[in-house]
Amino acid sequence: MFHIKLALRYLRGRKLRTTLTLIAIVFGVMIIVGFNAILPAISQAIQGNLSAMADEVDLTVSSETRGPFAMAVADQVRQVPGVAAVSPQLVRPMALPASQALVNKDGTAVTLLIVRGVDPATVTEVEQISLADGRLLTAADQNAILIANSLAQNTGLGVGDRLTLPAATGVMDFEIVGITSGRPLQGSEEVFIPLATAQTVFNFPGQINTIEARFAANSNADTVRAAVLAALGSGYKVGGTTTGSEFAAAMEAANYIYNMFGVIAIALGGFIIFITFRTVVVERRRDIGMLRAIGASRKTILGLILAEALILGVIGTAVGILLGYLMATGLLTGMQSLLEEFMRTSVGSPTLEPWVFGLAIGLGVGITLLAGLFPALAAMRVSPLEALRPSLAEVERRRAGRGAMVGAILIVVAFLTLLPGTVGLAALGILLLIVGLALVLPALIYPLARIFGRLLSIIFAREGQIAQGNLTRQPGRAAITASAITIGLSLLVAMGSLILSMQGGMMEWVNTTLGSDYLFMPPSLVLGGGNIGANEQMAADIAALPGVEQVTSLRLATSQIDGTDLQVIGIDPVTYPQIAGLIFSKGDEKTVYAALGNGRAIIVNGIFAAQNGVTVGDTLTLQTPNGAQTYQVVAVGGDFLNFKLATGYISQANLAQDFNETTDMLVMVDRAANADAAQVAAGLQQIAAGYPAFTFYSLAEWQTQMERTLAAFNGMYVLLIILAIPSLIALINTLAINVLERTREIGTLRAVGATRRQVRRMITAESLLLAATGTLFGLLTGLWLSYIMVGAMSMVGLILPFSFSYAGILLAIAVGLGFGILGALIPARQAAKLDIVRALAYE
Amino acid sequence: MSIVKTEQLTKVYGQGATAVTALNRINMTIQPGEFVAVMGPSGCGKSTLLHLVGGLDQPTSGQVLLDDRSLSGLKDDDLTTLRRRQIGFVFQFFNLIPVLTAVENTALPLILDGMKQADAHNQAEVWLTRMGLGDRLSHRPDELSGGQQQRVAIARALVAEPTLLLADEPTGNLDSRAADEIAALLRQISHEWHRTVLMVTHDPRIAAHANRIVFLKDGTIVDDTRLSDDGQYEERVVREKMAVMA
Ligand SMILES: Nc1ncnc2c1ncn2[C@@H]1O[C@H](COP(=O)(O)OP(=O)(O)OP(=O)(O)O)[C@@H](O)[C@H]1O
Ligand SMILES: [Mg+2]
Repeated sequence: MFHIKLALRYLRGRKLRTTLTLIAIVFGVMIIVGFNAILPAISQAIQGNLSAMADEVDLTVSSETRGPFAMAVADQVRQVPGVAAVSPQLVRPMALPASQALVNKDGTAVTLLIVRGVDPATVTEVEQISLADGRLLTAADQNAILIANSLAQNTGLGVGDRLTLPAATGVMDFEIVGITSGRPLQGSEEVFIPLATAQTVFNFPGQINTIEARFAANSNADTVRAAVLAALGSGYKVGGTTTGSEFAAAMEAANYIYNMFGVIAIALGGFIIFITFRTVVVERRRDIGMLRAIGASRKTILGLILAEALILGVIGTAVGILLGYLMATGLLTGMQSLLEEFMRTSVGSPTLEPWVFGLAIGLGVGITLLAGLFPALAAMRVSPLEALRPSLAEVERRRAGRGAMVGAILIVVAFLTLLPGTVGLAALGILLLIVGLALVLPALIYPLARIFGRLLSIIFAREGQIAQGNLTRQPGRAAITASAITIGLSLLVAMGSLILSMQGGMMEWVNTTLGSDYLFMPPSLVLGGGNIGANEQMAADIAALPGVEQVTSLRLATSQIDGTDLQVIGIDPVTYPQIAGLIFSKGDEKTVYAALGNGRAIIVNGIFAAQNGVTVGDTLTLQTPNGAQTYQVVAVGGDFLNFKLATGYISQANLAQDFNETTDMLVMVDRAANADAAQVAAGLQQIAAGYPAFTFYSLAEWQTQMERTLAAFNGMYVLLIILAIPSLIALINTLAINVLERTREIGTLRAVGATRRQVRRMITAESLLLAATGTLFGLLTGLWLSYIMVGAMSMVGLILPFSFSYAGILLAIAVGLGFGILGALIPARQAAKLDIVRALAYE
Repeated sequence: MSIVKTEQLTKVYGQGATAVTALNRINMTIQPGEFVAVMGPSGCGKSTLLHLVGGLDQPTSGQVLLDDRSLSGLKDDDLTTLRRRQIGFVFQFFNLIPVLTAVENTALPLILDGMKQADAHNQAEVWLTRMGLGDRLSHRPDELSGGQQQRVAIARALVAEPTLLLADEPTGNLDSRAADEIAALLRQISHEWHRTVLMVTHDPRIAAHANRIVFLKDGTIVDDTRLSDDGQYEERVVREKMAVMA
């Protein structure tokens, strides 16, 4: 087609600019695709599904709370007509501490097992377990274990070998008695141990969390299934226990933030495309006029420019999707070690869901077309006379007035979006702010150019004045360039501030909520991520140690409120606040802990409160293994480990009573004031050695460890640098138009005696003026933006102190002005090189 | 039957105190096959006249008739189609699309009119060959000399077989030899291929190739002279006229 052909030719004729424009689109699409491809992979890795494959077993039943329940429930199922056999089970993930990780032959480590505690007598009645070697479990077995064929092959373990696993009692030794063959239901890390042993290992005496059943041959499966559920009453569901579904909410929040980031990047890209096409139309006024003169209709012209935008959009989107996928792969590989270290889980490859393609194509192509539309409409209005008559540079009339008014209103509205305290609205406010600024800028260019112009004339004497004149003559154009810098820089400043605030804030969270003298940390920092914990014996041993003043622990159960998953953490209302403490956003810290020990009271964390609209004074109905229980919300607050997950805090007494849960997942210890630190540490270390499921830290060790982890945030600064690139492109493009539009003027200046050097300095002075204006606004909006972002974080429960660094601001100023000079280099050189005669003839 | 006719054609730029009357009640008739040169001092309204005749701009009052059909009241799309099929334009600065080859530039009006690319290119090659550019078909404009570029522009103006060719200082950007060649080409177009040519020029040597010269001054026609048609270029006559006018 003619349109496409001509568009392609033009694009090829301007390779540098085409590439720069493409980068803008590619970058935005890449971010959206990249993050959206990573998140499903991570949530898949974390949300292990502990249910058997649907068609392997007739029926699997588990608790809606995802927690354990009494073994007697299995008997209830057995009574239901049509049920031929029932197997009670306790199926839990088990995170292996580094000291006990199984090492594969290829050097990688198995850090997570899926432990199935089964009743040896009944399990074979409901499912087929085929053996490659050895024997099945028998009723007499205590410390016997079956492992999967694939695990045996990978690790070289075989029948007769011994295996030491962490347990709530410390450690437990197992003998491998059999190797299963075929496809293990739970993946290659599936192991079988006797149910009674599993109950000891996980500290759930007399409890199970899964019931598998086989139906009678002549029964109707649907009828029996319904009958089983009816017999059990509410609180049970078909399907196995899932882990980590608390992550869904956290993932959604993260997704939202990354998508916002991508949309902002694409919007910035759109802005650059807009400027590029504006340049294109200005450059080609003559070509366009000629086409109109020789018979191209307005629609044809519109189509020509849009075809060009379309091509850019399609290529940019395609490349962006590809790079996004590569980025996701790279990031996942990079994150692998972190995930393994702190969550005991491994991730697969990036997953691209169809809607991500839709979003990427919609935004990538859509925004490009939209950005091309306005210049294309302008091109459509180019008169055929342009071809014959010297094209006079557009003379801008001062209609900044109304735009500035609208802009000012938008900025005010942007501030108002903060009031309701919703993240989505605040994010919308950011966009409003940017648009508002772009509109207000033209009215401000004149006074600003005067202020900076005076400064500049100290360096550039005469050229500075000419440059200042040039800008004030075309306030609209100058405003576009300045706002490109503003937007780019404000993003830089905002992200920088946010990262800084997060680094500082996180450390404060760590120190407040995990700031005891000593810590016993589980292998996975996600408490529900397969940690074994310890029974009450360990804490008792620690408390008995001379020199220990106080011990407290975190315990964990899972629950549901109206179908929403919630993890429930048990704390001791007396010892916990003495050793550590939650960070509260609502509620009185002095009375809250006492309230927690008094009846059924709960503290919910920010992300749960925000997502479910819960506040102090509300009552929540929690699903527990012992039926629904009503809790009163006494505060909103959280701790470092769980701020991303929907979490409630109740007293350990209530946790034991309602959730049958007494396992300590994390233990914190304070030393007595007069005790000898070395002696206490040695004693604690000795206890820790008996519980390899925990890593023992002194406060100092723990803090160094956390600081190292948080330093990973530094990687985010790379993103900042990438974000800065589009601003530079926008700046170069705009300055290039400037020079092009004034070719003749520059020629005249040269003809009447301006030296090349003077022309170069004039253009440089001009871009410095623009850069200074843009930088000023960039700093202001950037700080404001980061303030909003930190505020948005607190809305989801992550309360951070707002902080910014003066060094960062100086850096931002340097970057802004640096861009000014860098962006001026190419056009200034071009302008200086102009052949005087040709420049004068140029029209 | 006339091909171009203007009736009381008037163009006023601007309003009030700054208003400029570029053309004042021009009545002019051009017969098919005529080669008319428009001359006159700078700012007298030559370009304006050409623009109005070509339908690129609207008159303030009066009207232009092409083939006895008035341009007044035609919508933009109709004017565009008319330009595409009936009028060829040649500009002072050639105005070729820099990224297209000679053939592609020449074929533009046909392609804009919906002709298949292969056919359009064939026809473009025919005209380029007639313009003496048979060996430059796939060169881009920056690989052609000024005179060659102007020939491409003329081929482009003629490729859609228009009846009227409008040229505003077509030799203004060329040296005198290239200018002479272009002028001779325009004469050939008028005499051999029977197109009507309306050309604006400052140069008496170029004007002498025409067979009729219209002198404009301050927006009115002050002289309308037929030159002998015997191929004898009467540059001297033109110069004398110019001297009288000034
Ligand atoms: N767009 C415009 N707005 C205002 N005045 C105009 C415009 N275009 C032309 N004029 C004026 O109209 C008059 C005629 O202009 P025109 O371009 O037709 O002159 P010309 O004879 O072609 O001159 P030249 O030989 O210098 O090209 C001039 O006085 C000019 O200043
Ligand atoms: Mg003229």
